[in-house]
Amino acid sequence: MTPPLLARELRKDYPMNGETVHALRGVSLRVDAGDYVAIVGPSGSGKSTLLQLLGGLDTPSSGSVEVLGTPLDTLSDAELTRLRLTRLGFIFQRFHLLPVLTARENVELPMAEAGVARAERRSRARELLAYVGLGHRADHRATQLSGGEMQRVAIARALANRPAVLLADEPTGELDAATGHEILELFRRLNGDGTTLAVVTHDDRLAAEAGRIIHMLDGTIRD
Amino acid sequence: MRGIAWGIRSLRRQRLRTGLSLVGIAVASAMLLDMVMLSGGLDKSFSDLLLSRGFQMRLTPKGTLPFDTEASIANASSVVAALRRDPAVAVAGAMLATSLYGRRSDSLVTLVGYGVQPEAQSLYQLEAGRDLTPGDTAGVLLSEAAARLLRAGIGDSVTLVGRLDPQVVTASVGRRLAVRGTVRWLYDYRGQPSVGTVLPLMQRLARQPSIDRASIILVKARADSAVPALAARLRQELPQLEVNSVADLVAQFRARMLYFRQLAFILGTMSLIVTVLLIGTLLTITVNERLGEIATLRAIGVSRVTIVQQVLAEGTALTVVGAGLGILLGLGTARYLDAILTSFPGLPAAFSFFVPRPNTLSVAALVLLITGCVAGLYPAWLAARAPIAATLRAEAT
Repeated sequence: MTPPLLARELRKDYPMNGETVHALRGVSLRVDAGDYVAIVGPSGSGKSTLLQLLGGLDTPSSGSVEVLGTPLDTLSDAELTRLRLTRLGFIFQRFHLLPVLTARENVELPMAEAGVARAERRSRARELLAYVGLGHRADHRATQLSGGEMQRVAIARALANRPAVLLADEPTGELDAATGHEILELFRRLNGDGTTLAVVTHDDRLAAEAGRIIHMLDGTIRD
Repeated sequence: MRGIAWGIRSLRRQRLRTGLSLVGIAVASAMLLDMVMLSGGLDKSFSDLLLSRGFQMRLTPKGTLPFDTEASIANASSVVAALRRDPAVAVAGAMLATSLYGRRSDSLVTLVGYGVQPEAQSLYQLEAGRDLTPGDTAGVLLSEAAARLLRAGIGDSVTLVGRLDPQVVTASVGRRLAVRGTVRWLYDYRGQPSVGTVLPLMQRLARQPSIDRASIILVKARADSAVPALAARLRQELPQLEVNSVADLVAQFRARMLYFRQLAFILGTMSLIVTVLLIGTLLTITVNERLGEIATLRAIGVSRVTIVQQVLAEGTALTVVGAGLGILLGLGTARYLDAILTSFPGLPAAFSFFVPRPNTLSVAALVLLITGCVAGLYPAWLAARAPIAATLRAEAT
């Protein structure tokens, strides 16, 4: 069966101050459908870089990434954008909701971009907000929400187009312990409902929930 | 469409900044509009004024423009008679302009006098009372200012005194006339005290060396299309006269007013540059502030096209609202400036420097719209090219 995510011998080098930084040094990884993978490691170990390469946000210096069997290096920018829109869901440390839109409109945004009809996306946005426990806040502007609520709206937004994999980069990084716990519960529920998750985190509690923990150090996987 | 809707709503994020930018764009737009109105308005206003009674040609003494000198046309009545016999001519009439005096109690006040042929006049619009008839040598028409100065109304009598003889310093010709009506003299400056009589009477009051003289002869052709050919023919037939069509006069006027149009062009261009800089700077700052958000949108699959639309929509919305305010402001300032400029002595009150015309407004609006889009191009490019991964990394640190 084709895995949602497959990375082979990923290397990523950055030029910095005239020198080359080796962020990833030959990382291979397979994430199967229904997996809950936590990627942990100290700052600078390459975990966020790995997540960005897996999500097609950046290109590797060498190696390859396949999403649902499609090699990303064969796609044009527009095709890659479309793949991110329809097959992947992203959650970031800083939620980056559009502040002038309501929670519902923020969730509708990727569906609108994908061309989903207005009635259908409105109905699904309400369902998703109810799923993350924010049905009653659907018509509030993003700026009227707390940090935890904004992150839950961001999760609903990431789920909007029914992605094959949810990629999260420090999803609890900006939240206090209590609200971080709510997100942790939500991820547990998502995985329980069949969503494939790959989460970069410093949060031990969040990592402990994962079915598989990948430890990274100096651009390599150590497990 | 989504990008456009987000773009417009995004302007509400920094209301003060957006408000100040709108004020700046409105001022620059108002300046542009005024300059566009000024550059075309002078010609249009001049042409409209000359054509206000439908006379397309002016015949003046050789080498002069109307009212440039006190030179006059000899044998005016025979020239007019010949013109009236011409099958291409619908109407022809002579007019004499001179200075004279009106008696008020025991003093004299200075007036401008027009001798007209009422059946073919192009100088005035009757406002009250009745017009002169061709043989009415006992009647006079007054401007509002003249009526005030002479303290006379319709039906009253006034005494006009011809030019003083410089040798004997006595008024040689004086006539008591009945006020038939009040009129608006089309070429008068504001507050000009003007009076009008039939041409023969004014010729006597003016004490011209030869009685049959006129300052100008006006000709209305039967068809506008016939004017150039008729003007060319009259130039040959009447070599002692300067024959100008309104188009000729407008062309000469344009040449004289070239510096006005150059000034308008320079100031209009500067206002456009200011608009581009204002919108471009605002959008560039906005995009730089929102790079993290833009990178996130790109990460979740929002296309470059949508991002570009969003930024361009912000620029366009700023331009549309700012230009809308600018048009109102521009019309207001144009009216104010027009009132100041047309109050200068020697300028006809009916003349306008700033003439709002639908096509002028459309051109200004279109230029501004294009300006708004152009101003948004660089910030839009900046937003579309933002590297997703690097921006997200920078945001996280």
